[in-house]
Amino acid sequence: MNIINVSDLKKSYGTNNVLQGVNFQARSGEVIGVIGKNGAGKSTFLEILMTIKQYDAGTVSVLDENIKSLSMNQLEEIRKQISVVLQPTQFYKTLKVEELLKLFKAYYKSSIDIKKVMADFKLEPHRKKYFDKLSGGWKQIVSLAIAFLSEPKLLILDEPTTGLDPHMRNILWSYITDYNKRTGGTVILTTHNMDEIELYCDKVMLINNGLNEVFDTTEGILASGYKSINEFYLKKVSI
Amino acid sequence: MLVTQLKYDLLMFSRELFYLVFTIFVPPATYVFMGQLFGEQTYAGNLSYVQTYTPSFILVITFTVVFFAFGFDQVTHRTTGVEKRIYLSPVSKNTLLLSSIIRSIIITSLGFGFISIIGLLMYDLEFQLLGLITSYGFFILLNAALLVIASAIYSFFKNMNSALVFSIVIFQVVIFTGGFAMPISMMPKFIQVIADFNPMYHMNNLFIAVWNGQLTFDNNVFLSIGYIGALVAIALVTLRIQNKRKIG
Repeated sequence: MNIINVSDLKKSYGTNNVLQGVNFQARSGEVIGVIGKNGAGKSTFLEILMTIKQYDAGTVSVLDENIKSLSMNQLEEIRKQISVVLQPTQFYKTLKVEELLKLFKAYYKSSIDIKKVMADFKLEPHRKKYFDKLSGGWKQIVSLAIAFLSEPKLLILDEPTTGLDPHMRNILWSYITDYNKRTGGTVILTTHNMDEIELYCDKVMLINNGLNEVFDTTEGILASGYKSINEFYLKKVSI
Repeated sequence: MLVTQLKYDLLMFSRELFYLVFTIFVPPATYVFMGQLFGEQTYAGNLSYVQTYTPSFILVITFTVVFFAFGFDQVTHRTTGVEKRIYLSPVSKNTLLLSSIIRSIIITSLGFGFISIIGLLMYDLEFQLLGLITSYGFFILLNAALLVIASAIYSFFKNMNSALVFSIVIFQVVIFTGGFAMPISMMPKFIQVIADFNPMYHMNNLFIAVWNGQLTFDNNVFLSIGYIGALVAIALVTLRIQNKRKIG
């Protein structure tokens, strides 16, 4: 079953045509990496899928709904089934970490134990710190912990591992893969770390010059002669 | 959900020193200070300092809370990306808006009580139950009007620094042309002209009249009510347009 169907998606900012006809499908349970150089339109693409950005042309269907035709209330219903990590990560700056988790637990009406989430994400030493006072990496971890307070059908992560040390990256990926296996939820993410794509993603979409230049399985790309996804990226994308 | 959101909204307000200084400290301190200087004066309508400036300073607190803690806060959340993240959470916009409005009403009501107690203890402020209830009811209406106007004004700001500069400048303009520093009739002619366009000046005059049971529906009162009503209507239309533009 397709969770997302995107056909001939176009989006421009003034004269800058960021997306010029992107086609994309995501099935239930897939982990898909969206790659491309800075400014390629990856975040714009994800924000359209999140239903928070309008687009100029094309068709975007999320969870069986054509989002262009939905009212604000209907969009809010769709968003209930989506969890996200944005880039950059921002929350109420004068709330402490534990308070933020409690507030979002209330938003998601989650039954997950906050203490367990804090223990899993190693947040215990930071629970009394204001969000604004955390380093960039820890802000990212709080954002991830919040994203996992619910069990959404669709998880969209914009550069989730940027600023994380290798241990925290491992913890994040164990969370993502566990969520994916346990719930059959779909994960779409952007990253500049090609090793992560190779290790964890079922499919890869390369956005280049506003188009999905390649959209294939990770195995398919590697079978076509590339030693790694990193090599594939470097050969496909010029500076 | 509303109670939880409100609890955290109030907590966040209490942790913002900038808001606290401008809302809880500056207006009451000024009220006391001016009372020491001009406490013996008689003002328009043969009213004493406490009869004139108690409602005025309640309105100043309301203005600062609504413009700083409600309007400016919206810009902060919008420009830092907090608003975007919250929109992506399964909490209804109505809950967020309602919590924000209740928070403003709670804080401004505390201001209402705080200034009234200072007036009672320091300047022999007199209360009548009916007058108090009428004044509080009118104060809530003014609160609602200011919330709508502030929300519309701040919806245009895309940058926090420009919103901050605007807030500080508008605070000065409102204080001097709203009749809060000294009677407008004692000000230069150009200030009096500006005052006519300042909705806070009209609100101040109406609130003083209601507070002292002197509201008579003459041309000036109809003009003030009409002007405020027109601004609220324009603000509502503006908000509707801006909300449609929000998803870009």
